[in-house]
Amino acid sequence: MTHRYRLGIDVGGTFTDAILIDESTGETRIAKVPSTPGDPSVGFLEAVERILREGGADAAAVGYLVHGTTVATNAIIEGKLAPCGFITTEGFRDMLEIQRQIRPSLYDLLFEKPRPLAPRYLCFGVPERLDATGAVVAPLDERAVADAALQLKAEGVEALAVCYLHAYLNPEHERRTREIVHEVFPEAVVSLSSEVAPEFREYFRASTTLINAGVRPVVERYLSSIETRLRGAGLRGQLLVMQSSGGVLTFEAARTKPVHMVESGPAAGVIVSAYLGGVLGFDNILSFDMGGTTAKTGLVEQGAPTVTKEYEVGTAARAERGAKGAGYPIRTPVIDLVEIGAGGGSIAWVDSGGVLRVGPQSAGADPAPACYGKGGTEPTITDANLVLKRLDPDHFLGGEMRLDEEAAWRAVKEKCADPLGLDPVEVALGIVEIANSAMVGALRRISVQRGHDPRDFVLVAFGGAGPMHANRLAAELDIPTVLVPMSPGTTSAMGLLVTDIKHDYSATLIQRTDALDPALVDRRYREMEALGRQALQGEGAAHAGTRFERLVDMRYVGQSYELAIPMGDGPAGEALDRMLADFHAEHERAYGFAAPGEPVEFVTLRLTAVGSIAKPGLRELPAGRGGPEAARRAVRRVWFAEAGGFTGCPSYDRYRLSAGAVVQGPAIVEEMDSTTVVHPGFRAEVDRYGNLLIRAGG
Amino acid sequence: MKLDPIKFEVLRNGFLEATEEMALALRRSAYSTNIKTRCDFSCCLFDRDLRPIAQSFSQPNHLGSMVGTVRQAVLEYGPEKLEPGDQLVVNYPYPSGAHLNDIVLVAPFHYRGGVQGYFGNLAHHVDVGGGAPASVGAFREIYQEGVIIPPVKMVKAGEIVDDVFRLILSQIRSKRETAGDFRAQIAANNTGVRRLAALFDRHGAQTVNFYMDELIAYTDRRTAAELAKLPKGEYAAEGYVDNDGFTDEPVRLAVRVAIDEGGVLFDFTGSDPQRRAPVNSTLAQTYSAAAYALKCVADPDLPVNAGFYRHVRLLAPEGTVVNCVHPYPVVAGWETQVRLNDTIFKALAQAIPERMIAGTKAMQCHAGFGGADPRTGAYYCYLETLGGGYGARARSDGPDAVQTHGQNTENAPVEETEINYPVRILRYELVEDSEGAGRRRGGLGVRRDYRFDDHEVTFTILADRDRWGPWGLFGGEDGQKARYILNPDGEARPLGSKSTVDLGPGDVVSYRTCGGGGYGPPEERDPRLVLRDVREGKVSAARAREVYRVVVDTETWTVDEAATAGCRA
Repeated sequence: MTHRYRLGIDVGGTFTDAILIDESTGETRIAKVPSTPGDPSVGFLEAVERILREGGADAAAVGYLVHGTTVATNAIIEGKLAPCGFITTEGFRDMLEIQRQIRPSLYDLLFEKPRPLAPRYLCFGVPERLDATGAVVAPLDERAVADAALQLKAEGVEALAVCYLHAYLNPEHERRTREIVHEVFPEAVVSLSSEVAPEFREYFRASTTLINAGVRPVVERYLSSIETRLRGAGLRGQLLVMQSSGGVLTFEAARTKPVHMVESGPAAGVIVSAYLGGVLGFDNILSFDMGGTTAKTGLVEQGAPTVTKEYEVGTAARAERGAKGAGYPIRTPVIDLVEIGAGGGSIAWVDSGGVLRVGPQSAGADPAPACYGKGGTEPTITDANLVLKRLDPDHFLGGEMRLDEEAAWRAVKEKCADPLGLDPVEVALGIVEIANSAMVGALRRISVQRGHDPRDFVLVAFGGAGPMHANRLAAELDIPTVLVPMSPGTTSAMGLLVTDIKHDYSATLIQRTDALDPALVDRRYREMEALGRQALQGEGAAHAGTRFERLVDMRYVGQSYELAIPMGDGPAGEALDRMLADFHAEHERAYGFAAPGEPVEFVTLRLTAVGSIAKPGLRELPAGRGGPEAARRAVRRVWFAEAGGFTGCPSYDRYRLSAGAVVQGPAIVEEMDSTTVVHPGFRAEVDRYGNLLIRAGG
Repeated sequence: MKLDPIKFEVLRNGFLEATEEMALALRRSAYSTNIKTRCDFSCCLFDRDLRPIAQSFSQPNHLGSMVGTVRQAVLEYGPEKLEPGDQLVVNYPYPSGAHLNDIVLVAPFHYRGGVQGYFGNLAHHVDVGGGAPASVGAFREIYQEGVIIPPVKMVKAGEIVDDVFRLILSQIRSKRETAGDFRAQIAANNTGVRRLAALFDRHGAQTVNFYMDELIAYTDRRTAAELAKLPKGEYAAEGYVDNDGFTDEPVRLAVRVAIDEGGVLFDFTGSDPQRRAPVNSTLAQTYSAAAYALKCVADPDLPVNAGFYRHVRLLAPEGTVVNCVHPYPVVAGWETQVRLNDTIFKALAQAIPERMIAGTKAMQCHAGFGGADPRTGAYYCYLETLGGGYGARARSDGPDAVQTHGQNTENAPVEETEINYPVRILRYELVEDSEGAGRRRGGLGVRRDYRFDDHEVTFTILADRDRWGPWGLFGGEDGQKARYILNPDGEARPLGSKSTVDLGPGDVVSYRTCGGGGYGPPEERDPRLVLRDVREGKVSAARAREVYRVVVDTETWTVDEAATAGCRA
């Protein structure tokens, strides 16, 4: 077989993960190499080389490669966007300076606003104007456009963003502007708001367009350099990159709309949860990914990850709850994640009111948790888990690293237990429970606050620290089932290989449903489908089929937040009554009331063009004799609140558990990159793919 | 019951999440721009004794004002008359409310037969009737400002009381929007009630109540510990609102901040007597100025509940502009309130100069208008408030174009405004050279121009700062004054900062808000920073030379070092 392998490369902040699937055997192989933030392509290529070498695979046999990358995000956070000019309607050049006119922190007199994405001397207003129906009120001053372009050329910009008021309704002035720019400044890379994010609310559209323009040269250089070197190494398969919305894009498409890959990495974890659910027959999933510094939760409904359009990039983990205006908004679809500063390295401390707190400060990789023995002295969640004996000091990372129990105990005692006058074990439990309560909050925000009942979901737990906490979180939220996939530390990377090619399109069309022009809706969708079909055709043979998903953002006339209602495949005229009923029901579910007598309107038409890719199957475990005894390692005394203290608890080697084995809690299941805690009153069953399914029962 | 620090943190988060879920429900289902886009609302949970437990808000202005309103409303109406599913509506200003636009809905929380708490949410409604569209303007007494609502039941057993609802709506110009906003407010309280019921189910009433007490005690301890770190002493300052809307006599605000073993006392004695003009602040508004200042100087991370409010101590004599009584008008009380904050920080700059700021925009700066929408014939109202320059700090410039102090409302997107209302926004940009010069400069103000093409409009400016700009500190200069201009490109005419005008087709109203005050002498400003400002067009080369004494070569974009040295010698 010429295309025997699929390769996924996920570049994170600390590690670059590689995953290789041999489609002829279903065998999966993982490799980790340190990331190289200075030039991420170095770590990338090293990961490729290493996993191919270890797997004995020929580069020419790789059918396709999917890349998850933070190169776009980092460029924004580190202020490394390409020098970028901004052209807008005269009178509005300060859109990027003024932003939303709010302060990101309410009580901090020393606050700063985010730095404008382009300095003011690179922002130009040119005479032209459309009204709120898209009609031309003042014609485009072509002379002024040419002058602006020449000045930007003289300033040495590489990229240019154009965003005129109401251009989401009528792109003519923006398109003409691009033509003029190309005449006088042909080497400029131009992004138009009417193409990047054709939706109303100018600052949000402008910010999206500018980010697209500014990361474009950065992404282009990066992807080109990787492509050249991969081709040089003999890799001839298709090259794809993960998008924030969860689909993949060809390198080619990613070069022109790189804003779609801003959150390329984190999306993969939610995607793989959806995929696992699909294989195992779970439609509704809460994904829970807990690593060293943060925990991320996402939601999959009816097999599809939920997507948000209210994303701000560049805010990182914020201390203040609900802070807005701290980053740069983008209006392209991003998989909805709630991220909080609670990871294995989050630091516990006692505040001035004498209360124990956890995070958001993290010990990170340096100085790391106290028990790593790298000089850290602050107690972290990992230290607390060690004090409670949930971690085994001898089997951490498969025994590669011995944990220092004494150091963990000392940190917890000196920094928290002594000031509180409490016992260190009690405090360690407190640290874990407080972190759990914050994570329960995150799970609530992604579910309950979006109108979903967590009891209808399966919790998929991964990341190095996720499986240690998942059982308790599920119990707290009455989630009946926890699923812990094999090698949870690399689950995310697996997500790269189980997604489809996707292109997202949108068109603002504000019309009341009682005066809707269904023919116009159908026409807009046909136009978008034509674009989608064209894009997919250009991307060749890797995908087996093409389909279109259509959603309409709807709201009561006068509201400003919309609910996305599926339209189905038929004509708008036929779908309308059903969509109205769905809208009222969805409003009732989301906000607790519906107003069926009130007029409703369409706001934005959305289309996702999907090129399906065949998914690899999960590998089945060899049939075993069922019992867990063979995998049993030892019995140690582990602290459980349910048992009122330390209690005898067996530990198991996950790699020796066979399909059908049932582990009765309390129990600890250990593997190379993670530890799963099964609480008293629960049992974990190994399914035929090696997943652990934790449910109540004793 | 013994305190379990873990359960404490779990419940504390649970209380806060209940109010955050309320906020989300309110924002997403509201109709008026002021609520859904600009976030002019707050949500709060109270315990069975009407003590605030958790609050979610984007507007610190509502810190104290809602808390007082809910308590006063429930006690006055009679808690025993509140059945499950009931909700009260209220906007009465004295002494515990604010202006009439801020309407509060209150829901009791019943659990197993008894009241175990209350929820309240406040939203600034775009119109509540009165003398001008959007209910802003200069009037002589409260009765001209709009519909006055004492605590009455708007919802009974889960159903809207139609008689009350219709009676209120009939006083209001933008009926459809307002009806939608009321439904959103009702839904928000229902959301809170559901969420708290889940906490009670899980932990039991006794436990939840115990931890509410503990949360208050904890916050009390922490606040006291933070306040004890402040330098003891007495610090005084005075500030002025430019005029009151009827006379040009400035409104004097006197502030004395006394920091001692007992904490911080804000004494506003000596402020002017109340006016028959809109600039009177209610006691609740003045209280929220003090609460905001206290949270800024203590720890921004402090929870907000009765344990924090316990430390808000103020003296605001009745019958003055900082504690007005019936029937004095209140609609521009926020102008006075926000200026109080500027004045408090000016006083505290003597104590903690590194942590304080020069004068900021410190006005609400309302633009309100309405008329018959030519597209539909329906009466529409629109209200927004504009940002301006922030005050400079010891180590950083004041940010440009932001809201200040208790006010943090977002700007409405131009496109959204033009889609929904018959107005065209002609400009929205920074006002160059408007900064207060200084070693650290103040932020720039903004310009926003409104034109009405095809109908007649009543337009109200309710603002300030066109007489004096925000003050500089320690040798920094004042920010430039605000200006309000009718038809700036035609027969330009200045408009008063508190005025209502009738406009015809083609008329333009132009706002240019003030810049922030500077910090330290401008001739000590790093020439590289001056160069950046000139390069960005925020400060002109002429002004750079005159005020900062820095000569910028605008051909090469460099500082002319020799010429600058000459200027600064």
